[in-house]
Amino acid sequence: MRAELRFTLNGAAVEAFVQPQARLLDVLRDTLGATGTKEGCSEGECGACTVLIDGRAVASCLFPALEAEGKRVVTVEGLRQDNGDPSAVQRAFIDKGGVQCGFCTPGMVMATTALLAENPAPTDDEIRAGLVGNLCRCTGYVQIIDAVKQAAGELATKERS
Amino acid sequence: MTDAAYHRPTTLDAALALKRDEPSARFIAGGTDLLVQLRKRKVAPAPLISLRNIPELCGVSVEDEAIRIGATTSLAELLRHEVIRRELRALGHALWTLASQQIRNVGTLGGNLCNASPAADTAPPLLAFDAAVELAGPKSRRTLPLASFLAGPGKTQLAAGELLSCVVVPRPPRGTQSAFLRQGRVAMDLSLASVAAFICIEDDRKAPVVRLAAGAVGPVPMRLRNAEATLVGRPLDAAALVAAAEAAAAEVSPINDLRSSANYRRRLVRVLCERALRQALGDKEIHHEG
Repeated sequence: MRAELRFTLNGAAVEAFVQPQARLLDVLRDTLGATGTKEGCSEGECGACTVLIDGRAVASCLFPALEAEGKRVVTVEGLRQDNGDPSAVQRAFIDKGGVQCGFCTPGMVMATTALLAENPAPTDDEIRAGLVGNLCRCTGYVQIIDAVKQAAGELATKERS
Repeated sequence: MTDAAYHRPTTLDAALALKRDEPSARFIAGGTDLLVQLRKRKVAPAPLISLRNIPELCGVSVEDEAIRIGATTSLAELLRHEVIRRELRALGHALWTLASQQIRNVGTLGGNLCNASPAADTAPPLLAFDAAVELAGPKSRRTLPLASFLAGPGKTQLAAGELLSCVVVPRPPRGTQSAFLRQGRVAMDLSLASVAAFICIEDDRKAPVVRLAAGAVGPVPMRLRNAEATLVGRPLDAAALVAAAEAAAAEVSPINDLRSSANYRRRLVRVLCERALRQALGDKEIHHEG
């Protein structure tokens, strides 16, 4: 038994036939081939599977795919700018060394994108609170927080110009 | 995942009818607890009835006497709500430290209560605000105090076929202050212990009303009635707060588990209770602006 599902993935209309209780994470990776989103803990603790749904960060491992019906889903594949360059958040993670093994990075970048959309100038504490649902076992988080601050600064500059 | 069905009704009546026709089906709201339990096989595979697309179950309405919170209102939406942040400050504190943005964006208030974890962080503030829950069943609707709705770890007073539709919080009178404090090992972890304090000093001639509640230190989040009783008819000075905190630590019934020892939890209750009272008393900004 399969159910029909239609939503917008990174700006493009997509359609899939899915098991009724399939997770959005599996539909993204296995059905639609968008493997940028990673599976970590599968229980909403680690944040590796974070995607944006209608602009808000969500753990796609805990999101029934059918609830994405008609919604706008953005994954790490959808962050790059129109000219193909990385987004300010992606650039900042590269510049500041906020990436080591890279497995948490798509989720970190998505959570940061959502955090800065809601709070464009977060304090260190607000950055930590915003990323509390994203685990990184490599960096010790210092470079990640530096990256969020750089991205916030860049986005603020862009806003002013 | 199994081939079990996933229903997405758009009215409360349709959701209740689906459950009546398929009693083994389970209601699902945000799913942040249930989907983990299903995956770990702590809950048997079942058809799911999603409550996410039912407008009458979602949203906050501020009335003269009460704030009505639809059961499927997300924790994030509550945290953003002006009136909740201003008037139900202890609930705001609890929401702010509850899980992560990813979980708050989909997790719901009704889900946090129906999952009935002893450590559900929204419960102590709601108990301190003397909240009630509205339950909708196939034949009737009923209202219960939250304190009697919570029945044990993972247990509620929901009857077969019933669901929690709304949380009703009486609007705190002018002169109300509140606070919520929790202690967890790390930020995302469940609370080891938590305390919510509600203090209403309407005017100098009336005795203050104090309500206290604790989480993760008994089978259900609980009112601290003995601690409240120690404060009746005496000034809320430092000695009174210490006496209340000691009564609180004596009346809770924590357990030893992998997160903490019972003894440590009891000590936490004493400290958190005194601090929560102090914070509420020192916090003059919150008042009713109705």
